[in-house]
Amino acid sequence: MTVVGRSVPRADAATKVRGEATYGVDFEVAGTLYGALALSTVPAGHIRSIDTSAAEAMPGVRGVFTAADAPDIRSGLAVNDQPLFASDVVRFEGEAIAAVVAETMAQARTAAAAVRVEIEEMEAIATVEEALAEGAPLIHDDWHTYSVRDGLPDFPRAGNVCGEMTVDQAGVDEAFENADVVVEDVFHIDRQYQAYLEPKNATGLYADGRYTVHVAHQQPWNVRDRTAAALGVRPSDVRIVGHHIGGGFGAKLDTALEPYAALLARLAGAPVKMVHDRTDDILTCASREGAVIRMRSGVTNDGRIVAREFLCDMDAGAYAGDTPFLTSIPIFVVGSLYRVGPTRIVSRAVYTNTAPTGAFRGVSGTYLYFALERHTDNLANAIGMDRREFRVQNLMSDGHVMLNGQALDDAGILTTAFDKAEQHVPWRELGKGPNRGVGMAAAVWLTNPMAGEVALQLHTDGRLGVVTGATENGSGAVAMGVRQVAAEELGITADEVVLTMPDTDMQGFDAGSQGSRTTHIVGRAVHNAAVGMRERIRTVAGQVLGQDPDDLEVAGGGVRIKGEDDVRMTLSDVARAALGAGGPIASTGSYATPAPKFDPEAATGLLFPIWPTPTYHVHVAEVEVDPVTGEVKVLRYIVVQEVGKAINPAGVMGQIVGGVAQGLGYALYEGLQIGPDARYRQRTLEAYRLPIALDMPEIEVVLLEHPAPEGPYGAKGVAEPPVVPVAAAIGNAIADATGGSIDRVPITPEDVLDALEQGSEERT
Amino acid sequence: MDLTLTVNGSERTVSIEPDETLLRVLRERLKLTGTKEGCSEGECGACTVLVDGRPVDSCIMPAPVVAGASVTTIEGLTGPDGSLSPVQQAFVDNFAVQCGFCTPGFVVTLTALLDENPMPTEQEVKTSLSGNLCRCTGYATIVAAVMAATGRGSA
Repeated sequence: MTVVGRSVPRADAATKVRGEATYGVDFEVAGTLYGALALSTVPAGHIRSIDTSAAEAMPGVRGVFTAADAPDIRSGLAVNDQPLFASDVVRFEGEAIAAVVAETMAQARTAAAAVRVEIEEMEAIATVEEALAEGAPLIHDDWHTYSVRDGLPDFPRAGNVCGEMTVDQAGVDEAFENADVVVEDVFHIDRQYQAYLEPKNATGLYADGRYTVHVAHQQPWNVRDRTAAALGVRPSDVRIVGHHIGGGFGAKLDTALEPYAALLARLAGAPVKMVHDRTDDILTCASREGAVIRMRSGVTNDGRIVAREFLCDMDAGAYAGDTPFLTSIPIFVVGSLYRVGPTRIVSRAVYTNTAPTGAFRGVSGTYLYFALERHTDNLANAIGMDRREFRVQNLMSDGHVMLNGQALDDAGILTTAFDKAEQHVPWRELGKGPNRGVGMAAAVWLTNPMAGEVALQLHTDGRLGVVTGATENGSGAVAMGVRQVAAEELGITADEVVLTMPDTDMQGFDAGSQGSRTTHIVGRAVHNAAVGMRERIRTVAGQVLGQDPDDLEVAGGGVRIKGEDDVRMTLSDVARAALGAGGPIASTGSYATPAPKFDPEAATGLLFPIWPTPTYHVHVAEVEVDPVTGEVKVLRYIVVQEVGKAINPAGVMGQIVGGVAQGLGYALYEGLQIGPDARYRQRTLEAYRLPIALDMPEIEVVLLEHPAPEGPYGAKGVAEPPVVPVAAAIGNAIADATGGSIDRVPITPEDVLDALEQGSEERT
Repeated sequence: MDLTLTVNGSERTVSIEPDETLLRVLRERLKLTGTKEGCSEGECGACTVLVDGRPVDSCIMPAPVVAGASVTTIEGLTGPDGSLSPVQQAFVDNFAVQCGFCTPGFVVTLTALLDENPMPTEQEVKTSLSGNLCRCTGYATIVAAVMAATGRGSA
């Protein structure tokens, strides 16, 4: 291989360092007007009146619009529960009530603030506990009238619960009775804001009866479908055009401003650009959900886990969003990594009067593994066994059957990962000394299986065009992964590959940059397309050269006779010859991972039933806590990660180090907290504390490569897993350093001081 | 009001509202969109430009204050022949760019650092970046890029 496996600089690096790359916020067409939303300032209430007259009279204002101007439709990713504008009931602070179109952005924002809304406030439900309390008011009192999204089977939901997944294996209670020790933990988890640096934005146009929306978005085809659903038109009535994305991390997978920009363009009769200011972005962003977890396991004195119960309530916010899907994730976590006896899981998505939550890199896994691995430490400690030894003794092996009935054929890679971590630095050498501790956490994570498509075109100058709706969200999955796979397939250098931006009117359906899928899925689609393209190139070249196509190969930047080094025709020669010999050379390819077998009877309400192309991970953290301030210093951080095959090693490292940084932020700094008044406490990037350069330790990385048979050159998903076990490893290290319990995320200095106090009490 | 300033070596006069920020003048009046707006409160550093050689957050800099000053934006760091500056090239070579939205602010900040301190330590580099947020990289490749730009490090 000449391109795959090499650290080739990314395709878009130069345009980005020059400041030339056009992001969503930079895109503009002539005659553009600007839109801004008027958001609810209260979390719960009944709208009594909306007075737009003052806003309408302001300079530059072209129109002020409300629910009365929008189609009367509720839509959603799982439950059709959300209107574009609140008209009678307000369910969270930040819910859109009106929209202004004006000649400048400043005018639009000023006028939006002048929309007068009279709301009769109701008591707001701030937490899942309040929402689930007996007699709690219903966030949606007409929930039973809501349909689920087209194509989705209905699933258990009732009142403030908008999704519920249950596993109830036989013999759980009996197995608990046979345990020597039963350990119970409760974990409280705050939200995490994706904090992409490019605020959400969209520019809408309306012409010839169709909507076009220019976006910086991770999943254009989903934006198309969701915008169409919100506006009550057919998906093909909407065209989505992608631009460079200033970070997304899952938050730019579902619609935000796009349906508003499209609607306002039609209502105003002009292109309308909308950009959130940072506070509105935080207030409305579907952040990583908070959760409350109760976890109980029975162990024997010799260290076997014989019974388990796991109850998880996820905060969906005021509208269900994707959280009903996320209730499935525990089934892949709670019975994995370590062998367990009979298990019960009840996992619920719960409505509250807060901003709807949603996807963030490593969905739910960051706190599910925090709970599992903190609990695993507590189990080992309860029977006086070394925490690593307890893990290794219980590790799953090849063929391990997860709770969904799916077998993990290669689960033994996890043992290799534990061995590699130990070879890198022995466990017992870490965490020595006062106020120091060591923690480890493992994870098994998926590669999202959903479909992707590419169209390859051979330009007459010999370069290879890759038309795909796969989005380059910054990870390098397209600018490195797809590009290098395409170059390798056609025997050309990476520079000879021309990448396009997504456009849903063109080819290249794609299920979005999510679940670490792009390099694996789209790379495989490129491979499939390249088979047809190479055949056509050999056929055309065979005619020109008077050779049997079977004796030719596409390599070395052109066409060669097999066994010879000389290129007989360049790809440019072939592409030009093809115009008179059947037409241009182009080929399409698509791929979706075949679904692994699972047991449909294993659970109820399981909307996301499979865990394809798994990867295996072990993280080790060594920390020192400051007994005076409670601050945590990460002394060493080790990642052992299975990647299948690193298509671009530097790109893989970038994903791992960046993912760990987000994990450290989650573990130590980043809580997006909700006060008792159901309002966010953090509303700016000053208040929401992101990791800075000075916070970051060196990340020591050991890559494992077990190539995926079906993957492009063996590549599996890379980008999500590094964020997943970080809070768990850090939490375990802090618990070890303090001798106390760590059961919240983020782990604040106050939590550390409390744990130190608890630890010193327990020692005396 | 009219505002006259030098931007990337050229004198420019623009008509502005008195309450405009330098960022708005650059992005909206002069269409220099390489400078980004991330937070509008001087926290993220994506809007960093040089004013008379010193890095400032243009999102909180009132435009009238820079009357007569010399402003350099990310677009002004590239050579007249289109070649990348040493810091820009080091970012490309060391994989210091992912989504790239923060990149102009980092490149401008680090250009100012190296003008003042041509051989900074890693700690000095990290300290100079206290006002620049990157959500993608975890900063390691950015620090490596600076070390490489000063002739130390691998790439």
